[in-house]
Amino acid sequence: MIRTISHRLLGMLVVMLLVVTIVFVIVRITPGDPAAVMLGPDATSADIAALRTQLGLDRPLLVQYFQYLADVVRGDFGQSIFLGQPVLRALADRAEPTFFLTLFSLGIAVAIALPIGIYSAYRRGSAFDQSATTVAMLAASIPSFWLGLLMIQFFAVKLGWFPTSGYGGPGASFATRLGHLVLPAFALGIVSSALIIRFTRASMLDVLNDDYVRTARSKGMGEARVILRHALKNAMIPILTIIGLTAALLISGAVVTETVFSLPGVGNLVVNAVLRRDYPVIQGALLVVAGLYVLINFLIDMLYILVDPRVRY
Amino acid sequence: MKHWHKAITLAAAAALSTAAAYAQEPQRGGVIDVATIGEPPTLDPMASTADLVGIVSQNIFETLFTFGTDWKVVPLLAEAMPEISDEGRVYTIKLRQGVTFHDGSAMDSADVLASLQRWQKVASRGQQAAANIASIEAPDAQTIRITLKEPYAPLLSLLAFNNSAAVVLPSENMAVPMEKPVGTGPYMLKERKPDQYIQLARFDAYKGREDASDFYGGARHQYLDEIRFVPVPDPNTRVEGAVAGQFAYADSIPVESVGRLTGDKTEAVTLKPFGWPVFVMNTKEGLLSDVAKRRAVLTALNPEDLLIAGFGTSDFYAVDGSLYPEGYAWNNKEGVEAYGQGDPEKAATALSEAGYDGTTPLRILTSRQYEFHYKMAEVAAEYLKLAGFQVKLDVVDWATLTQRRQDPKAWDIFISHSPFLPEPSLIGVMQDTSPGWWVSEAKTAALKAFNAESDPAKRAELFGAVQKVFYDEVPAFKVGDFNAVAAKSPKLQGVTPAPWPYFWNAYLAK
Repeated sequence: MIRTISHRLLGMLVVMLLVVTIVFVIVRITPGDPAAVMLGPDATSADIAALRTQLGLDRPLLVQYFQYLADVVRGDFGQSIFLGQPVLRALADRAEPTFFLTLFSLGIAVAIALPIGIYSAYRRGSAFDQSATTVAMLAASIPSFWLGLLMIQFFAVKLGWFPTSGYGGPGASFATRLGHLVLPAFALGIVSSALIIRFTRASMLDVLNDDYVRTARSKGMGEARVILRHALKNAMIPILTIIGLTAALLISGAVVTETVFSLPGVGNLVVNAVLRRDYPVIQGALLVVAGLYVLINFLIDMLYILVDPRVRY
Repeated sequence: MKHWHKAITLAAAAALSTAAAYAQEPQRGGVIDVATIGEPPTLDPMASTADLVGIVSQNIFETLFTFGTDWKVVPLLAEAMPEISDEGRVYTIKLRQGVTFHDGSAMDSADVLASLQRWQKVASRGQQAAANIASIEAPDAQTIRITLKEPYAPLLSLLAFNNSAAVVLPSENMAVPMEKPVGTGPYMLKERKPDQYIQLARFDAYKGREDASDFYGGARHQYLDEIRFVPVPDPNTRVEGAVAGQFAYADSIPVESVGRLTGDKTEAVTLKPFGWPVFVMNTKEGLLSDVAKRRAVLTALNPEDLLIAGFGTSDFYAVDGSLYPEGYAWNNKEGVEAYGQGDPEKAATALSEAGYDGTTPLRILTSRQYEFHYKMAEVAAEYLKLAGFQVKLDVVDWATLTQRRQDPKAWDIFISHSPFLPEPSLIGVMQDTSPGWWVSEAKTAALKAFNAESDPAKRAELFGAVQKVFYDEVPAFKVGDFNAVAAKSPKLQGVTPAPWPYFWNAYLAK
């Protein structure tokens, strides 16, 4: 077990080094210049060149790369060019909305998907199953930003139940801030539930005809217990995998949703950083998001071991 | 088209009736949320020419002068207009007394001197002015003296402008980048949460002018307790937020969304005219370094078709070749006969005579950051193809465009827009170093005479000569005039439509 974990941790380090390098290269070869964006439309070439020097962007790329690598190893992700604050601070400030948005939308997705997926499998071929499959396909095809805009129009503008955007003004309470997440969490959760419904259904169908399920039934065990206690437990590995991947996808899916709802989360930060070419923020944010992906995958692998003792690496 | 007219007529009628209902004596108190197009790249108004920086920071910082009605320069931190001597070379500026910064320190000439020196180093417009400034001195605590190398009339406008602005900062706060946004303005920074809000609170020790409010000038009343600028980059979300009553003011509303601004919580505010879309041509390198080919471009393009594509209906644009529309002192008709021909056949003949090889692509650099740029580019490309040009449309994001346009090898036309700037010398193409790099003897001579003249009436006449050279040498194609639309709560009163909206003098009606 310890050997497995240390091998996985070493692999994670290699992956992160590759991520740092690839992100650094992609960001630098992308056209656009933070100095030109900062100085505005009427800035002269001389002003832009001066600001590039001030920001250290005129140094050779290799020098910039190794300097950045050394800084990252020391835990220094640099200073945002536009926000006037360290990258880690900017990320930390935006972690709350992104964390709760991901959590809520995952919760909503799972709460919708598991019962529907299980019942669809149990009633395979029924009207419910066919409707659920169709609705899941529709939900999977809806872009979350479009659903978000529809929800803004109906629930925020027409009914006035929720704010249209933002994350609360100065001094907003925790409850107020969470209130700003209801619409985006549903927009994201509904779209994400589609994939989990399909995987849950397929995974349950695989196990429902297995011998142990038949045995459980023949022993006179109640249907609910057979499905939830025996079948579901064995179907959980692919379902857990897809929930984990959905969690990771939600972090990137939140980029669009956060932009539509003007939520000051990590996704919004990344979008704005890309538009402004705020190199340190792009690099830092992508590194953190990639780190989360790697960590989530690692945790899922560990969960496999817990859920199914037969799993070994 | 009819739907547009109906929507606008209804919106205007509703706005009039609600405005009448809320018209009353200004009230003190209240907080407003202002939805902006994004987060400003900095709060240092010297460091950027971005409009958004000016919109936010003008509430915090003040300049020696500003603009009154009809864009006349009027004093702000200066006591009065400067005393100009030595045939327009020496400007002696008396400062207002008793003005304090947000940190409680008193403003004097040492602060102004240090600020103007920083402005000349940091700000693009400051560097433009610096080329003409021989010295700046502070002969006493309440006086600043600027000595020019030769008469330079745009100086006061440069000192009055609100982006790349000559704001006055405490002399001990000259760090670059700016560390503390401390100014003398009616509102001070209380808290900034990037991408969430910029919270400004009333500066209780503010000493404003006592003369009547006059556009950006005169008394600046601090009716509102707080102004919060909320970045909402998605235009649809800005519109819905305004309709839901979440924002007291939402800037930059897409014209196609004006019909949505109905109900009792919001109304359209139109600034007519706001500015001009412009196709800047590369006069330095490539295909359009030849003036004959630039003239062919001008001949080929039909401005009305471009404007319809960009703005949908004539409610939001005007076909107008004058560099300044009617109502501005600079408005004139010199050279305008070359504008608006929309004649690709004539352009094709001119192009052939100019020796165009028919294969070299005309590269149009544009972006979808502003959708109307892209739409106009598409229509222009078709006209130019009809004239015989091989057209290559380079559609990139705004950050790429701002970088690529600095490279004279990378483009032939780039598309931009600008508000009508109060001083023509501030227009991008008038700068020799601005992308497009328009330099010619005729331009230099016309601009030199224009900039050296201090009499406003004579300057207006001399600008006719500048415009004539503009149309002779075609460094850019002015597409026309366009209007800007914002959304405002009917309760928010005292807001004057302006290119850079300001919220002193604004109040919330009960």
